Amino acid sequence: MPPIENDTGKNELKSQIQLLIDSNQVMVFSKSYCPYCVKVKDLFKELKLEFNVMELDLMEDGTNYQDMLLEMTGQKSVPNVFINKTHVGGCDKTMQAHKDGSLQQLLCGESEAYDYDLIVIGGGSGGLACSKEAAALGKKAMVLDYVVPTPKGTTWGLGGTCVNVGCIPKKLMHQTAMLGTAIQDARKFGWEIDESVKHNWDTMKEAVNNYIGSLNWGYRVALRDKNVNYVNAYAEFVEPHKIKATNKRGKETFYTAAKFVLATGERPRYLGIPGDKEYCITSDDLFSLPHCPGKTLVIGASYVALECGGFLAGLGLDVTVMVRSILLRGFDQEMANRAGEHMEEHGVKFLRKYVPVKVEELEAGSPGRLKVTAKSTESDEVIEGEYNTVLIAVGRDACTDKIGLDKTGVKVNPKTGKIPVSDEEQTNVPHIYAIGDILEGKWELTPVAIQAGRLLARRLYGGGTLKCDYINVPTTVFTPLEYGCCGLSEDRAIELYGQENLEVFHSLFWPLEFTVPNRDNNKCYAKIICNKLDNDRVIGFHYLGPNAGEVTQGFGTAMKCGATKEQLDNTIGIHPTCAEVFTTLEVTKSSGGDITQSGC
Amino acid sequence: MAHYEEVTVRGYDEFCQAISERKGKDIFAYFSGDKDAQGKSWCPDCVTAEPVVRGEMTHLPEGSVFIYCQVGERAYWKDSNNQFKKTLKLSGVPTLLRYGTPQKLVEDECFKSDLVRMMFTED
Repeated sequence: MPPIENDTGKNELKSQIQLLIDSNQVMVFSKSYCPYCVKVKDLFKELKLEFNVMELDLMEDGTNYQDMLLEMTGQKSVPNVFINKTHVGGCDKTMQAHKDGSLQQLLCGESEAYDYDLIVIGGGSGGLACSKEAAALGKKAMVLDYVVPTPKGTTWGLGGTCVNVGCIPKKLMHQTAMLGTAIQDARKFGWEIDESVKHNWDTMKEAVNNYIGSLNWGYRVALRDKNVNYVNAYAEFVEPHKIKATNKRGKETFYTAAKFVLATGERPRYLGIPGDKEYCITSDDLFSLPHCPGKTLVIGASYVALECGGFLAGLGLDVTVMVRSILLRGFDQEMANRAGEHMEEHGVKFLRKYVPVKVEELEAGSPGRLKVTAKSTESDEVIEGEYNTVLIAVGRDACTDKIGLDKTGVKVNPKTGKIPVSDEEQTNVPHIYAIGDILEGKWELTPVAIQAGRLLARRLYGGGTLKCDYINVPTTVFTPLEYGCCGLSEDRAIELYGQENLEVFHSLFWPLEFTVPNRDNNKCYAKIICNKLDNDRVIGFHYLGPNAGEVTQGFGTAMKCGATKEQLDNTIGIHPTCAEVFTTLEVTKSSGGDITQSGC
Repeated sequence: MAHYEEVTVRGYDEFCQAISERKGKDIFAYFSGDKDAQGKSWCPDCVTAEPVVRGEMTHLPEGSVFIYCQVGERAYWKDSNNQFKKTLKLSGVPTLLRYGTPQKLVEDECFKSDLVRMMFTED
């Protein structure tokens, strides 16, 4: 790169350098081959100090940096060391400062000046786990949480998506739907139940929300009890070490901290079509909807879409799912399609290869009537439909664009809003970390965020070394027929290893509890993907059937232990269960053998 | 005049009566084991908690109600079918709760003044 001549370029470079100096407790401008730089870096490593290094010789515009540093500090040579925004100097000066204690003074001076050791932005599963662990390790920690109301005005308490508008209400409403199926099954088992069994939305909604309320309170008690300062305010950075917190009355307070953890999570994406925010709801609204949604159109085929569509249909509602392309992107496509087929057989309508273009209100009410216009993705065909409720579930966006990250220099993927981090959840700005759903290329799952948050706090403050393992994370989609998985999808395994190096074992099965009511024969399905190059190690586990979460959890542990096909074969099954099918898998997919099952 | 009303009741019926007479008010209820003639409760945790809870009562919201409820003798309380456990879903004494909300502090949580104060001072 040529030397920078114009003033704008110079100012920009200067502010970039200033940002590095301001946002790092220890900042070293260095050259990778320089022995004096190595000496300084070794000193900081020995002192176990977190420091940021910029190797000027490895950068295209390194000479420009060096020129600017000369202008700013009067020092041309490297290393050029800054501690807590103070220019220390080169190698000799740094060593001298270490000897005479002024280095320690510089280091301490600033850390005492911060209000907190750690500020966590976002009081979801990850943020709570991280802040509580930090406080338990004796650190002064703060967590800020603020729920921006949905366009419909829905808001909720402390605890994040999982507790308030995710896993917890979702699973309870899924359970509600399954109880409906159980009531139907019960007749076949001899229970004489009145024909007019009805479901009351309000009763369910109240019960679910009362439970959530008790969890919100429990989190507040736990934070207070563990000396984490919880502030119900919206946080945004104003400086690399300083945030502004705005509460619901608009009062602004400023806080500083040595370190930060971003744990802001995601919120549902809207479509950007006329009527979406005015008339449609998302999962953020559904679980506390003041009235039964009635005839519902679910837009999207994400797991949120299929789970919500699934339980609404299970409550006896008329449900249509509008799908642009595929179901459950990123999941094993064979499993996704089987889960979808089961929904379809149980009355959920699918409008495939359509995208909505506008939503209009025909009649206000609780619920009202909406008209949805959609167009085909393959032709010019336009269709219309009338629904009481339209639920958008087309994906979620990371809440990273309105928290002042530009003031910190934290890198955000401009396309996705996600934050790339190291394997220690560190962003490109050393004192700022990120966990949970906002991470690029990581799982969006509560237990993953909790694990990452807790381990991060232990590494930062408890001398821990364990990193969060993002491999072989088990999970379950609570579609009406539940889908549990761990490891690779078949599609991904083929991409990574090649079909010829894999053996896929599979089987249909009929849960004993389905036999008497005589339903869903040969709909449940089990599949494992084994790596032939590695002792038939199980690299993908897939289960479609009842209690998928309970079944998958233990196999997740087995996979963490490196389970092979042989070990599964040597495991004795528990009879009669669904999970036992994994101990007797014999038919390979490549053989094309019959996988239908009939009894013991 | 205190900025809150304190009511003392004994037993489930008196408690319900006190509640029904104060509909729409911000009601805090503290449940404790009965006290003997010397003023000492059979429930040792209640003995520990009471001064802590009382110490924070100056933080009660303006116009609120504090109901001090003795739940009965030990034998009555130990019956898992007693009205407090069955209807009010109490799981232990002492319990401090904000009536009609999920806010509840049970047993040793009532020993912690900052938790009690949180209930009295925050929404």
